[in-house]
Amino acid sequence: MRISVKAFGAATALLLGTPAFAGWEPTKPVEIVVAAGAGGASDQMARMMQAAIQKNNLMKQPMVVSLKGGASGAEALMYMKSSEGDPNKVLIAYSLIYMLPLSAKIPFNWRELTPVSVIALDQFVLWDNSAGPKTVKEFVAAAKAASSPFKMGGTGSKREDHVLTVFLEQKTGAKFSYLPYKSGGEAATQLVGNHTEANVNNPSENLEVWRAGQVRPLCVFDKERISYTSKVTDTQSWADIPTCKEEGVDVQYLMLRATFLPGKVTAEQQAFYVELFHKVTQTAEYKDYMEKQALKPIFLTGKDMVQFLEEDDATNKALMTEAGFVAK
Amino acid sequence: MSQTDIEIVVDDPTAPEDDSPSVVGSGTIEILVCLLLLALAITLGYDNWRTGASWDATGPEPGYFPFYLSLILAGGSLYGLVTALVARRAASGSFVTRAQARRVMAVFVPTLLFCLVTQFLGLYVASFLLIASFMRLVGKIALWKSLLTALVFTAIMFVTFDIAFDVIMPKGPLEAAFGH
Amino acid sequence: MEALGLLFHGFAVLLTWKTLVLMMVGLVLGIFVGVLPGLGGPNGVAILLPLTFTMDPTSAIVMLSCIYWGALFGGAITSILFNIPGEAWSVATTFDGYPMAQQGRAAEALTAAFTSSFIGSLVAVLLITFLAPMISSFALKFGPPEFFAVYLLTFCSFVGLGREAKHKTVISMSLGLLLAGIGMDTVSGNLRMTFGSAELLRGINFLVAVIGLFGISEILLTMEERLALRGHAASISLRVVLSVWKDLPKYWVTLLRSSFIGCWLGITPGGAIAASFMGYNLAKRFSKDPESFGKGRIEGVFAPETAAHASGTAALLPMLALGIPGSGTAAILLGGLMVWGLNPGPLLFVEHKDFVWGLIASMYLGNVVGLVLVLTTVPIFASILRVPFAAVAPMIVVSCAIGAYAIQNAMFDIWLMLGFGVVGYVFKKIGIPLAPFTLALVLGNRAEDAFRLSMIGSGGDLKVFWSNGLVGSITTLALVLLFWPVIDGLLGRVGLTQRTRATSR
Repeated sequence: MRISVKAFGAATALLLGTPAFAGWEPTKPVEIVVAAGAGGASDQMARMMQAAIQKNNLMKQPMVVSLKGGASGAEALMYMKSSEGDPNKVLIAYSLIYMLPLSAKIPFNWRELTPVSVIALDQFVLWDNSAGPKTVKEFVAAAKAASSPFKMGGTGSKREDHVLTVFLEQKTGAKFSYLPYKSGGEAATQLVGNHTEANVNNPSENLEVWRAGQVRPLCVFDKERISYTSKVTDTQSWADIPTCKEEGVDVQYLMLRATFLPGKVTAEQQAFYVELFHKVTQTAEYKDYMEKQALKPIFLTGKDMVQFLEEDDATNKALMTEAGFVAK
Repeated sequence: MSQTDIEIVVDDPTAPEDDSPSVVGSGTIEILVCLLLLALAITLGYDNWRTGASWDATGPEPGYFPFYLSLILAGGSLYGLVTALVARRAASGSFVTRAQARRVMAVFVPTLLFCLVTQFLGLYVASFLLIASFMRLVGKIALWKSLLTALVFTAIMFVTFDIAFDVIMPKGPLEAAFGH
Repeated sequence: MEALGLLFHGFAVLLTWKTLVLMMVGLVLGIFVGVLPGLGGPNGVAILLPLTFTMDPTSAIVMLSCIYWGALFGGAITSILFNIPGEAWSVATTFDGYPMAQQGRAAEALTAAFTSSFIGSLVAVLLITFLAPMISSFALKFGPPEFFAVYLLTFCSFVGLGREAKHKTVISMSLGLLLAGIGMDTVSGNLRMTFGSAELLRGINFLVAVIGLFGISEILLTMEERLALRGHAASISLRVVLSVWKDLPKYWVTLLRSSFIGCWLGITPGGAIAASFMGYNLAKRFSKDPESFGKGRIEGVFAPETAAHASGTAALLPMLALGIPGSGTAAILLGGLMVWGLNPGPLLFVEHKDFVWGLIASMYLGNVVGLVLVLTTVPIFASILRVPFAAVAPMIVVSCAIGAYAIQNAMFDIWLMLGFGVVGYVFKKIGIPLAPFTLALVLGNRAEDAFRLSMIGSGGDLKVFWSNGLVGSITTLALVLLFWPVIDGLLGRVGLTQRTRATSR
């Protein structure tokens, strides 16, 4: 197995026709900075990349995962900001790069970092306990009829999950009380224990409890269904989950997963990592990971990426402002 | 019974004399600590008041608990202050004698310097300097033994952390010269 | 027997060469730190924790818990041979252990100490093995109000039962809780008490504080004392071991009593120190010849060692099952679990079976291997004490700095560690207890979050803490413990507690 993976890696390297970079290559171990705690989606992605790079010999130096999830990830942002000019640190970013500066007034702007590539888009799904309502309509009706507001679990405050909850309230007219947990895993187990009525976790965060039959996916917050059709549970695949729009609740949100270098690195250094992550997206490990976590594949670099970031930033800013989460 | 019953004797030539005069009494230090804690409590309490320390519709605001905790801390330190002031009338024990203070400083000052050197020259250089100089100057151990121990220990740490376990330590110009 | 099946599964997880080697390494390191004055269980585990960051969680916890057991064994060596308790819980062991060594019965005393340590932990591990599965079915009942009630119980038991001056416990705990709150508040997503500093943004890491409070301050304190020592080296022959073991059945009451005390105090946060003293005192009280204690009686070694180890081991149960550490070392292991992304708590038994049962199995194996190891290597470890302190002290300082830095790769943390070292030194000297501070620092945020999530869920109604039998009884118990001195006084006036006092003291 290992040999075949290696052979595959070598083959892709050949196919890509690695242009001879006369210039730069890291001379020290490269630090992958994760803006979340251990075991979270970002951490898993970092470990996948570490494994993919090491197994396929994509880089001479080793990769070290460094967890900087303090202050809801603000620690990682400040760390990247203060590492200006250091080409041995790569940040795995997600929508916190737009949201944290707005909600917590953290002196950070993603434009101060060097964008490398967007590597995936993450979905959000509305889940309830498997003993709860079976469809979105029943769920909304139950939430409206309940004497005290339904409890919605999520990760962190004034972030993706919280924003989605606010828009769910606006579109359905039901009231929810949002319970911010420290991680998606905690939100998942609290839903299983019936301490919350629902959550809006990423697919990867609820995967295990879904397979155990303890929670039920109601709808996915995207304009189209998830593309993966192989069975995850005995009866369902990711593609069997309807979109929320199909179910009459028009709320959409996708979260980027992207890599950044610190500011003020050279063009050769940036080019090395663009190439590196492009190779990563061609590996078997990456493809396997994308399917397991039900991530939407995408690869953007250079001008395309900056344009994407600008648009995404504007969208997030609008959502945050509308939800009333921007600190004065 | 145990045929190899050898005595182990370790002597401490630089031990503090028992009759050394006291530098400062415990009471004085207690008063000082209580005052410092009180100041800290007031600073943090004020900051939390600013953040918001009331109880709104969905429960306490972010500053609520820290604010009341600062009040509790302030109360505890005030109580400590009063008891210490009252007890001061009575004889209070010595906090540290002059001989003890000298020995504590003999560890504390090198540790402080070690942190400073780590900041600028990296941890491994600092570690070598600390061990070698501490053994030589404080322990009066032969120079070659001190240098060797320091070198071996630092090397083991470097291999364990930076090479075997990929735990990256702060490094300075010396390591950079060797490409690390 | 579901537990037995799971336990065998645990052994299967463990029986790889890599894990066994890690166990040996852990035990040796543990005995090493246990023997060194100025280190010890919690400090050793805290300093060596970063070494395990790159391992998988099961290997890491196996190694760390072996360090812990090694330290427990190691503490006994110095107590008996040199009258220096390497650990606070070994103090009671010196009462009879050192006189025995002076009478030339060092080998006997050491064998007794190691054997009773082994028995104590074995009893506690058996308890964990059979209680753990029950806990997992209990698991899903824990929502925010239940978690808060349990945290409250832990805090209250410290305030209500501590022996130090009450206001000092209050100072220590409120300071810990305050420092725990620095950084980002999860519930509101706002920053607090950071004063605009980017370094304070991530908050004060509990492990950095522990390394400073225990590691650095202990060196300062050790330096202050006279370091001269004089003691007995010993090697243990098989004949001595067998003769001690032959006498074991005679002391079954003492062993059983101490094991029971240890398990109880380990599960409630009384800790190994209290357990060892209580074990010793009760053995003396119930002895036919109490006068002979303190003059080299073997029972005086059996009793405290059994209790200390039973309690040290049992302390891991509440840590794994509820996320509440029963001892200082357990609190540091708790920090480790969180670093590896394992959320200690009821669900750990559901979600990470391999890990939990691997750990429990490692308790059995670690104890057996540890017993053999200490019995054979005593002379080597005793000779560590000949290394001059002037060489050991700077090495400990360097290890502390490495430990503090590795947690978050931040130079600021090395300075923080130094600061906490000074705080620890001053607090210890003026009698402000450090245990409540450490506990508050590790649990403060979680307790606050749990409280506020309960409030959001209930719409600000405090009655949620009495909303069902489980949460209601825990909350009530917590309040009883908090006001215990008052209640005790009132009951005493009515004359109700006379009888209970007579039996418990």
